[in-house]
Amino acid sequence: MGIFLSKLFSQLFGDKEARILVLGLDNAGKTTILYRLQVGEVVATIPTIGFNVETVQYNNIKFQVWDLGGQTSIRPYWRCYFPNTQAVIYVVDSSDTDRMATAKEEFHAILEEEELKDAVVLIYANKQDLPGALDDASVTEALNLHKIKNRQWAIFKTSAVKGEGLFEGLDWLSDTLKARGR
Amino acid sequence: MSGHDSKYFTTTKKGEIHELKEELNSQYKDKKKDAVKKVIAAMTVGKDVSMLFTDVVNCMQTENLELKKLVYLYLINYAKSHPDLAILAVNTFVKDSQDPNPLIRALAVRTMGCIRVDKITEYLCDPLQRCLKDEDPYVRKTAAVCVAKLHDINAELVEDRGFLEALKDMISDSNPMVVANAVAALAEIQEGSSKLIFEITNHTLFKLLAALNECTEWGQVFILDALSKYKAKDARDAENIVERVTPRLQHANCAVVLSAVKVILQQMELITSVDVVRNLCKKMAPPLVTLLSAEPEIQYVALRNINLIVQRRPSILAHEIKVFFCKYNDPIYVKMEKLEIMIKLASDRNIDQVLLEFKEYATEVDVDFVRKAVRAIGRCAIKLDRAAERCINVLLELIKIKVNYVVQEAIIVIKDIFRRYPNMYESIIATLCESLDTLDEPEAKASMIWIIGEYAERIDNADELLESFLESFPEEPAQVQLQLLTAAVKLFLKKPTEGPQQMIQVVLNNATQETDNPDLRDRAYVYWRLLSTDPEAAKDVVLAEKPTISDDSNMLDQSLLDDLLANIATLASVYHKPPDAFVSRTRPTQQRDEDEEYAEQDSGTGDTSAPLSEAGQVSGGYQGASPSSPLPPPGGYGAPPRATVPPSGPPPPAAAVVPDLLGDLMGLDNALVPVGPVTPATPAGPPLPVLLSAQDGQGLQICGQLIRRDGQVFYSLRFENNTQMPLDGFMIQFNKNLFGLASAGPLQVPLLQPGGSANTLLPMVLFQNVAPGPPRSVLQVAVKNNQQPVWYFEGKVQLQALFLEDGQMERSTFLETWKSLPDSHEVSKDLPNAIITNSEATLERLLKTNLFFIARRTLKDTNQEVLYLSGKVPPNVPFLVELTFLVGYPSVKCAVKTPSPEMAPLFFEAMESLLR
Repeated sequence: MGIFLSKLFSQLFGDKEARILVLGLDNAGKTTILYRLQVGEVVATIPTIGFNVETVQYNNIKFQVWDLGGQTSIRPYWRCYFPNTQAVIYVVDSSDTDRMATAKEEFHAILEEEELKDAVVLIYANKQDLPGALDDASVTEALNLHKIKNRQWAIFKTSAVKGEGLFEGLDWLSDTLKARGR
Repeated sequence: MSGHDSKYFTTTKKGEIHELKEELNSQYKDKKKDAVKKVIAAMTVGKDVSMLFTDVVNCMQTENLELKKLVYLYLINYAKSHPDLAILAVNTFVKDSQDPNPLIRALAVRTMGCIRVDKITEYLCDPLQRCLKDEDPYVRKTAAVCVAKLHDINAELVEDRGFLEALKDMISDSNPMVVANAVAALAEIQEGSSKLIFEITNHTLFKLLAALNECTEWGQVFILDALSKYKAKDARDAENIVERVTPRLQHANCAVVLSAVKVILQQMELITSVDVVRNLCKKMAPPLVTLLSAEPEIQYVALRNINLIVQRRPSILAHEIKVFFCKYNDPIYVKMEKLEIMIKLASDRNIDQVLLEFKEYATEVDVDFVRKAVRAIGRCAIKLDRAAERCINVLLELIKIKVNYVVQEAIIVIKDIFRRYPNMYESIIATLCESLDTLDEPEAKASMIWIIGEYAERIDNADELLESFLESFPEEPAQVQLQLLTAAVKLFLKKPTEGPQQMIQVVLNNATQETDNPDLRDRAYVYWRLLSTDPEAAKDVVLAEKPTISDDSNMLDQSLLDDLLANIATLASVYHKPPDAFVSRTRPTQQRDEDEEYAEQDSGTGDTSAPLSEAGQVSGGYQGASPSSPLPPPGGYGAPPRATVPPSGPPPPAAAVVPDLLGDLMGLDNALVPVGPVTPATPAGPPLPVLLSAQDGQGLQICGQLIRRDGQVFYSLRFENNTQMPLDGFMIQFNKNLFGLASAGPLQVPLLQPGGSANTLLPMVLFQNVAPGPPRSVLQVAVKNNQQPVWYFEGKVQLQALFLEDGQMERSTFLETWKSLPDSHEVSKDLPNAIITNSEATLERLLKTNLFFIARRTLKDTNQEVLYLSGKVPPNVPFLVELTFLVGYPSVKCAVKTPSPEMAPLFFEAMESLLR
């Protein structure tokens, strides 16, 4: 059965890895999420000046996950990574209400990108473990997600530190991508 | 172009770069790696692949070491052209510097150092800090080198982050490779910095000596180079170092050997024991000789270094002269260097052997080498007086071969030999005269002419010989013309018969009227004047005893030699130039600039100090041996010698005063400066001395004197218009003067209505146009305006306006300086008009003019008071002053001690006016 399934998937995807970008403002938790997904632990991180790239295998799909630095100085270079991207994971620090507006602007700027027009979007409302964190509904509101048309998207409440919500999001992502591949 | 050719312009291909881009983004690792290899290949052959920057950088995070290295290589090359995008690589560097594999850690830190992008250096400090403390010595040593690189990009950052301290700690590292690299890094940082960063202490010395035996050959070179800069405390310390370093002389690597030699030579300066020194010299010879069995290029480097070494310590190789004999198949540059060293090593003991060699060389085919060999014989003759005769015999034999260039070269050196040993070997002149016709090179001709002139009385047909040269006088090069002129004068003075008299007339005419060469003309006029005023004086001048010469050619100045010996085994010792002459540092030290300025100043006055008597003299020294060495410029027409007008011949020099002054005044490149818009400054104070009276200036009166304000010299001037017309367009110019005073800006004088006046402060600069000759306090000024002719007048240079603000001395310095100056530099004078009624008030007044109080005492028996003061005038001449006086009584005795006693009269003038 397992062999059969894997054959099926390889027919669907070939050996292809899905290319996924993890974006978001600085200190949103992107790198922590990446390594939580990859090694399943919380690693100590420092601000990412540049990028991290790791391969994550989940649900029989190989994700090539690019975690890009969120500093203002690096955001202009995000676009270097847009081509051939199947999905964007947008990470929001739900407790950082002050910068929610900036997060919204950056997010919508990404949606505008021609090269990302076919990419599905997964939003992580991260840092739910912190007191005062907005819930998914509030983040949806704050980011104006309802305005999104012609694109598949989903939002999940996550806590990278506790490991909550991440794989649920990934489930949605893999399902969506598989459905597209079909 | 026919229609179907258009296919060449349409292509379905998107181009190589596009293809590469696709491949770089491929998910297959092999394809990716191949793509990066293609990119690197393109980069290596010079194709621009910089547009693939992000794509290549994205391949950076890989476990594949080969791929990583390639990407790093790409980064080093292109990070500079994409400084913004380079930031994308930072995170990977940070990650890699924590990789479990030490090779990757080192690779990351090394690459980081090579990326010279300011924007990312800051991010690299943390990884660097970590790597400096890495457990793996290879990573540590790589990090040490990286610190030096970072220092070059951002010195401040390195200091702030404490990397220098970390480096210094590394000298105590347990791994010798780390020690060597830390030392290399520190030495490099020190070179680029004006601050003292790296100094070997007693403690570190021990560590370095210990590491020396264990590290790689290049590490040894680093450590030895650092050791050569260490100043040993005493002879024992030095002996200790030398003892530890001596085994390095046996090393197979020539760089190690030369560096070891450098250390030993440096430390030997301190060693007092004759035995130890002799022993060391003995030990240094074999390794140096061994260097000469290497490839010619290395031989050359060794020879250049040996050239320096034998200048300091000839004894090292005194017995090894044979290894410097040229082999027939040596390249020419090696042969030339060997000759140079042979000359330096030639002694009475080995001269016969050496001469045999030289004679052999003089018959070879390479012209330059042959010439140098002939010259070498001459130089040996000059150097070794007991061998001079043998050398001359060899030269004569060579002349007899009648090879043109050998003969000419021989004559040139024989002239020098005559200078060195006057009246000893003149018997050979006859032989020389036989080859007269073959001479066609200026230097040889000039030498021969010098010989004829010098020994005119012994050559019967000297006049005929000179005559033969004179026919072509106008076409000869300047060097020959000058010699002909001097020789003709000598001949005339020695044999004042009819022939020479006619000849001299022709030559002088030729040299004064037919020539454009100022040197020749000046010299001719000097002779002419001399001859027409006082032939006896002319004899004293022209035929004066000449100082003997010595062979100091190709000998370096001691301080330069010190400098070069400290740089043995570097490019400096090959070029024989100090490193700063050919390496430009980004941060030059301020100090040096000042020194140069002063050096210029010195040379400026230096070549004028040559007494006139030398003007008629030929060839001051061996080097310039060419009798053509140009005359020092004459003392300047502004101050002509008080010569009576000669009855005939040249234009009277006295008449030249005015036009030449004009020439001096107007001919300067900062010629008359136009008057700008007016901002009249109003100098207050006592009335200024009149420089140009209204009577002399057709109604224009100018008063002025030099004053000093806030450390700057000004010419305070007052213009009064007593004419009937408005005057405008004032310009001013200063003639050459003692301190080279010149205006620093335009003269600002408004339009002067009849009866109007204006005061102005003209800022002055020093050392713009320094007058040669003895110090005169006269300041010659020319002023012109649009309405009147140019006015010339004279003011005085008041020394009190020039005393520098930093003339203060410590008492101890004062005492030392006083003692160190010889008594001949002390001048004293009674100033009858000076009076001091209150010494406190006087001191205050003197302080305002930058004369600083040092000490006072009272003479018991006479009740006189003695004050000691110090002052300094530009460029940096200190004046130590002693004033002896009775309070309230006129007459002050003023004594000064200074390195420039010739300035004392000026000082007394200043003192007298200050103490009035």
